[in-house]
Amino acid sequence: MNTSSNGYVMGFAIGVCVVISATLAVTANSLKPIQDEAAEFDRQKNVMMAAGLVIDGDTRSIDELKKLYVDRVKEVVVNTKTGEVLQGESQKEAAQRNKDAAAAEKDDKSAATRFRVAATTTDANGKLEAVVLPISGKGLWSTIYGYLALESDLEHVRGVTFYKHGETPGLGGECENPVWCAQWKGKSILDDQKKLVGIVVKKGKVDPAIPTEKAHKVDGLSGATITCTGITNFVKADLTAFESYLVGLRK
Amino acid sequence: MTATATPPVKKSSLFGKEELKVIKDPLWDSNPIAFQILGICSSLAVTTRLDKALVMGIGVTLVTALSNVMISCIRNFIPNKIRIIVQLVIVSGVVIVFDQFLRAYMFDLSKQLSVFVGLIITNCIVMGRLEAYAMGNPPWRSFLDGIGNGLGYMWILAVVGTIREIFGSGKLLGMQVIPDSMYAAGYVNNGLMVLAPGAFLLLGVIVWIQRSISGYSEK
Repeated sequence: MNTSSNGYVMGFAIGVCVVISATLAVTANSLKPIQDEAAEFDRQKNVMMAAGLVIDGDTRSIDELKKLYVDRVKEVVVNTKTGEVLQGESQKEAAQRNKDAAAAEKDDKSAATRFRVAATTTDANGKLEAVVLPISGKGLWSTIYGYLALESDLEHVRGVTFYKHGETPGLGGECENPVWCAQWKGKSILDDQKKLVGIVVKKGKVDPAIPTEKAHKVDGLSGATITCTGITNFVKADLTAFESYLVGLRK
Repeated sequence: MTATATPPVKKSSLFGKEELKVIKDPLWDSNPIAFQILGICSSLAVTTRLDKALVMGIGVTLVTALSNVMISCIRNFIPNKIRIIVQLVIVSGVVIVFDQFLRAYMFDLSKQLSVFVGLIITNCIVMGRLEAYAMGNPPWRSFLDGIGNGLGYMWILAVVGTIREIFGSGKLLGMQVIPDSMYAAGYVNNGLMVLAPGAFLLLGVIVWIQRSISGYSEK
């Protein structure tokens, strides 16, 4: 057989591609449910990490962590327009409501993300410990997903995690570094007049001598300016979206 | 491993002299990292912790072995003009399958290994073995060659990973090994070990030791 004729080469290339792509399709499809479950557990773990229930490198087993989530975390669907909490609803119902809202109010862009799932955590005695808000938005390459936990005073940051993103490893990807996330703790989202200012990721290091910087800013990630600006923007936007909910809780 | 003890009867036996040599050589004499100096970049990137290093080692071993077998099976049919791209397609396929399995069963690790699993595709060891061995040898020997080279890569990664994890973060496989009393007495973790240059220095030392024992020198 002449293996160097153009026809043979084309046929061979197509054959190899078809076989490999079929293999990949079968693998990806059959593993999808297990992967989704793993991703969902990772999300729950990040809610708990933001709230300080789980630390990075926790050695507890998966079952223990799942039980901890059931015991201490309560997911709530929030209507971010009115601040109202929809009792007894879950992620699935929230997604459906968003779809309906987007279809009903075509000119309102915010309708597609009106119903969002936040979470509250309680301490061992059932007292409110933290309010965990989902935060997400554009970084440099990708949408970054994370959780921002507020202390029960609803003003100071209890913790933050970024768990899903496609930023450059080592640069923007450092946003998931627990050491970097740790400095968010204790920062205030409100200024002296109790007005929402959010948390600013500063370009460079925070100067602790300036009170407003110390209260509201965190050190930037070097080599990741656009990621940092993105985080600053979407944290502010998401806090604004949840403001009516937070105001309701503060009362 | 009983077959290894008996002397080879025929040339085509499963673990004959030739076959043993194929799997043992890359572990020491022609080790892909220490002797061939291949796959250095990933060995710097994924050795901060031992578990990462081991998973990466297993990945490279599986990928090298499987793609060696596949290429070896079709080696007589691959048109010479497009052989490199055919190798790449097969390697990529195997790597993506491995990545999908990691995402399903070891989600945390797959997040930490991030791009480096995908980068197995460009690991010089894999392509190097395909070109140098699988294109000219039967499937079984190619499989052993892949396993041998993968293991040769893995044990060096494991050594580097162990040293870096112990001295860089005081742990091994996530467990504290350096007692708190040592930290109380003023011991601090070595920051260099956590960074890539630390791995570079370690690798250099390992190559040096390996070569002084095996008696190899550059001409």
